[in-house]
Amino acid sequence: MPTQGDFYSVTIQRMIKLRPGTTPDASMVAEATLNIWHRMAALLAPIIGTRGFEVLFNRSLQLTSRAFPCLVIIENHRDNAVLLANIRENLAAGTTKDAMEAGHALLVTFTELLSTLIGDSLTNRLLSPVWAISSPIPEQETEL
Amino acid sequence: MNTKVIIRRLNTGVPGLDQILGGGLPEFSFNLIVGQPGTGKTTLAHQIMFALATPERPALFFTILGEPPLKMLRYQQQFSFFDLDKVNASIRYINLSDEVAMNNFEQVLERITHEVEAYSPALVFVDSFRSVMVESQQLREGPISLQQFIQQLGILLSGWQTTTFLIGEYLSERNPNPVLTVADGLLSLEQSIYRNSMVRKVQVVKMRGQATRPGMHTFRITASGIEIFPTALVRVDSGDMAAASGVLQNRVRLTMGIPRLDEMLGGGLPSGYSLLVAGPSGSGKTILATNFLSEGVRCGEPGVIVAFEQTPSNSWIRTLDDLIGKGQIGLINTRSLDLSIDEIVVNLTNLIHRMKATRVVIDSLSGFELAVAPTFRDDFRESLFRMVTVLSDLGVTVLMTSELEDRYNDLRFSPYGSAFLTDAIIVQRYIEVDSRLKRVMAVVKVRASNHSNEIRQFEITNEGIVIGDPVLDYEGLLGGRPTRMLDADTVVRGKP
Repeated sequence: MPTQGDFYSVTIQRMIKLRPGTTPDASMVAEATLNIWHRMAALLAPIIGTRGFEVLFNRSLQLTSRAFPCLVIIENHRDNAVLLANIRENLAAGTTKDAMEAGHALLVTFTELLSTLIGDSLTNRLLSPVWAISSPIPEQETEL
Repeated sequence: MNTKVIIRRLNTGVPGLDQILGGGLPEFSFNLIVGQPGTGKTTLAHQIMFALATPERPALFFTILGEPPLKMLRYQQQFSFFDLDKVNASIRYINLSDEVAMNNFEQVLERITHEVEAYSPALVFVDSFRSVMVESQQLREGPISLQQFIQQLGILLSGWQTTTFLIGEYLSERNPNPVLTVADGLLSLEQSIYRNSMVRKVQVVKMRGQATRPGMHTFRITASGIEIFPTALVRVDSGDMAAASGVLQNRVRLTMGIPRLDEMLGGGLPSGYSLLVAGPSGSGKTILATNFLSEGVRCGEPGVIVAFEQTPSNSWIRTLDDLIGKGQIGLINTRSLDLSIDEIVVNLTNLIHRMKATRVVIDSLSGFELAVAPTFRDDFRESLFRMVTVLSDLGVTVLMTSELEDRYNDLRFSPYGSAFLTDAIIVQRYIEVDSRLKRVMAVVKVRASNHSNEIRQFEITNEGIVIGDPVLDYEGLLGGRPTRMLDADTVVRGKP
């Protein structure tokens, strides 16, 4: 029986792979990953606060970077824009496969972390608009 | 034509709260919930919000500093009232920590205004406004003062026809806050720890436009949320009228289920009366009470027992257990040591209504006193009076047992001075006859009714209580060591 973790995993994987039929390169995967991040931030930050969201995300990044060295960000994390630019750059610099796996792991870790705090049901409830999309969002919607 | 505004009152969904508010929460009111940390302010706000919020009556919950929203959501969803389907549908959470961090009330107000205009909520919660006050102390020279902030918030939210709750910590009287004058309603929560018990209380300090129920009301937080036990109201006209002899003549007499006892009571116990059965340990009070209830079942009069005593497993208790098992008698059984009498009264009243009960047994007052939290023991007598009055108003007939150690130089009926509260009293005692302990019983009082004044010996057999004839051949029974009167035969053993 699929677990809630499987659900996050499959859904996020599907979203990162972009539209069916496209063959993404690493930079497209990096862009898709950050788009999902923006969507999550847009939904969660108003509820749990920008700082609350950032703390969760930074912890996800730290946990994921143990298995994915491309997510080890050496620069100062305090500036969120710089942090995101670094993640985008690092993901885009590797292979498509690596970018896909790292981006996927990062978002799944974040979602699971949120879920351990507020439960699967509420996590799904709050993030359902993210799961509802099957294609990357236009650039203008990604502003937090 | 009557054009006065009619203030609608909302049902808060918190058991007992509407009663102490005086009939519900006035729509469009601006309310404060205050109390020290851990008193249940956020839980109360959530319970009200989840009860009231609908798609047509949406709610906004603003969080400002204080408890992190993640933690709040984590813990609040443990309560059964937390309906996930309402989140983001009829309830939206909005965090204002960024605006507060800018040390600018204007920003906070602007953001609240923006969200209220965008969402048109019917209910607004701000948790906690103390955060705003703390910020105000650091920002004395801000664009607007705290007072202006609160006033503008009040104007904004009343203009948008919202029912509002500001949640905050305790406000000391030495430091009155402008928010108090703006507020229509003020609910104060507190918890006190005394010895090993913790008691929570709520008070409606203020609620414009309606008569609230005064005083501190105890409440409990369980998995279902908050339940308030309103202090029992004592009706001014209760008691005397009911006991008037004219009324008594119309009262049905209830049979006690013990041969000869009805006769001693002057024809049974008048319905609606309260009877105190006082006696030492093992004298047969619980058996008498059990008889009273099982006789009620036999006559089609359901009963309820509030049991605080350890129940010995004899045949009489098994009879009681059977009746409880079959649903013919309701049971409130508690070993808790942090009860308030009001909690028992509320639970008992609900059970009486549910079972349509007419007979009630409280076994015993001694156990009851132990079960109430130590902080209430000083007021036990007063609380007992309120309870008896409430039960009397319900029209039920009450039998209370009271453990009373035998004092042979002192004729007492209750350690609580509660004898005057009751309409009838039966006292049981041990006496020593021929180096044996014997039981005797007498009816001391049946208000406005004739009754026997005889002291009768009785026995407890497998068939129950067997009351004998009057003890005529001994004297000095109440002294505990009766002496045989001259030429008297042995004590007459009664026949059932």
